[in-house]
Amino acid sequence: MKKSIFSYFINRILLYALIFVISLSAFFFFINLVPGDPVTRYIQMLEQRYGLSTPASEIVIQKYKEVFGLDKGLFERYISYIKRLLFYQDFGPSFVAFPKPAIELILESLPWSVGLLGTSVIIAWVLGVILGTIIGWTRESKISSTIFTTGLVISQIPTYLLAIILVMVFTFWLNLFPMGGAYSAMLQRSFSLRFIISLIKHAFLPSLSLVFVYVFGTMISQRALVISVLGEDYIKLAEAKGLKSFRLVNRYILRNTLLPQTTGLALSLGFIVNGFFLIEWIFNYPGIGRLFMMAIREMDYNVLMGITITTMFCVLTANLIIEFLYPLIDPRIRRG
Amino acid sequence: MNTILEVENLKVYFKTILGDAKSVDGVSLKVFEGEILGIAGESGCGKSTLVEGVLKIYKPPCYIPEGKVYYKGIELLSLPEEEFRKLRWKELSYVPQGSMNSLNPVIKIEEQMVDGILSHADMSYHEAKELALSALNSVGMPPDVLDMYPHELSGGMRQRVCIAMSLCLNPKIVFADEPITGLDVVMQKLNLQTLGDLRDRYGITVVMVAHDMACHAEICDRICIMYAGKILEVGSTVDIFSDPLHPYTKGLLSAVPSLEKRNLKGIPGLAPSPLEWPSGCRFHPRCSYRMKICEEEEPVLEEVQPGRSVACFLYGGK
Repeated sequence: MKKSIFSYFINRILLYALIFVISLSAFFFFINLVPGDPVTRYIQMLEQRYGLSTPASEIVIQKYKEVFGLDKGLFERYISYIKRLLFYQDFGPSFVAFPKPAIELILESLPWSVGLLGTSVIIAWVLGVILGTIIGWTRESKISSTIFTTGLVISQIPTYLLAIILVMVFTFWLNLFPMGGAYSAMLQRSFSLRFIISLIKHAFLPSLSLVFVYVFGTMISQRALVISVLGEDYIKLAEAKGLKSFRLVNRYILRNTLLPQTTGLALSLGFIVNGFFLIEWIFNYPGIGRLFMMAIREMDYNVLMGITITTMFCVLTANLIIEFLYPLIDPRIRRG
Repeated sequence: MNTILEVENLKVYFKTILGDAKSVDGVSLKVFEGEILGIAGESGCGKSTLVEGVLKIYKPPCYIPEGKVYYKGIELLSLPEEEFRKLRWKELSYVPQGSMNSLNPVIKIEEQMVDGILSHADMSYHEAKELALSALNSVGMPPDVLDMYPHELSGGMRQRVCIAMSLCLNPKIVFADEPITGLDVVMQKLNLQTLGDLRDRYGITVVMVAHDMACHAEICDRICIMYAGKILEVGSTVDIFSDPLHPYTKGLLSAVPSLEKRNLKGIPGLAPSPLEWPSGCRFHPRCSYRMKICEEEEPVLEEVQPGRSVACFLYGGK
């Protein structure tokens, strides 16, 4: 018994490391194979902005490339990047905000994203599971099937589209919520009530656009899970036992859908993060997503790599934690 | 003997896209207090559905178009859901089919036994646990089963846990749905004895559904033979086995293997579909005694001897 659970954990950790290395390498080659490089692009931008007619000399470009180590071969760059990552835990400097290190930019924006995304996902997941359980349990009623059909449609709306609609309605027409940013520019960062209210007000729309779509996605999968559990023999026995409805739903239906539903959360985490990047971009929210978009525009390799590694780390670790939680939820894994 | 449960013209249908599947199509029967009644028949004849209909534990698309079930004079099917809930388990208990998947895999046996007790009886958790322990003891299970999960038990043990659960609250009737299917013979014997004990020691009425005639012969007082959603013959176990009246009963018994007769006869053909039962007597396409009238008219269940009813034109009928 002890051994099996131990090998289960070792197994998960090894898999985690393998996936990490493979996706990290894949992403490195992927962005480095995109035509162009940050130096040329930056100089082009300067030329356009200031209307310079004489092109920058080859020597200048070459010089900057050398400084950033972009003159070496792809594979050489890969080796030195991995070395730096492994031995110095360093993402390297940002090209655009030079000499600020990429890690500093990331650490500045990470708390915003984690706060907003974390709250949104937890709210959406909990609401979705509760709602899905209720409409699965009462699936025969008219109201439940109406909610289900509506939810099916809503869950397919792209979050960014909803975000734009929300901005239109709440910002331009009703003027209730601010259009973007994380807090009012007139306020200082502090733990005052005014600042916190401003924080919530700014987070409301981006959070709503994510929660609104994701609630229904979770609700639909939860309803399907509930219906499949309803067909199980143990539900029949539980009903024959004359259990009170709340206990039946809570301990026999909800409890048994939690394992696949938690897996679902882990699997969809990656997609949620993707959708979230666009939301941040739309709302000009100073999180990781906006930083990522800006880095793509400017081909800031080190920031891009840094963000990818950070998000990968977060998503994979979240998955790992959830997998470590399985034995707590399902005794068949714990004592199997 | 007192009638404890009476089923009157009960129909249990399933809605399908091809029309209604009439799994139980007009069943009337009486259960006497303190007896063990067997319900026999081949797969798909509606035995289990009948029990689920009586206990109202079916799920949509299953529904009951008509019929009445009287328990001690109370009509069950029109009872409000909450009233019926109070009767379940406390008065009308149930041992599920197979029992392999009948226990919730993620909850310990203890909680599964105790929650049934606490839903009906006003007592502390500790008292309920004591009750569960004594029930386990009465079916010969060790007390440490309480701390286990269902997957840690063998099939036969799970089955006996289910039996123990069903008698925690000392019910009046236990409905046992295929209680020994899928077990080895040693376990079958043990579980049948346990069920027999329920009546002998606690005076509980048992309604047992099984397709295995040998199992009925072992413990039942009376047997109902079901075919195609109807009851064809009712009689005491001795009568049914020594002198089967209905051609279907004869066929069923000829399909029970023994050392003397190794060539099993059985019944030719397959069970009909509940979507479209045959006209007239539902058994006529497979019956070797069929007459003209069998195809046109449906025989009714009539008493031919005291305590013995049969639905067949060979014995009068209409």
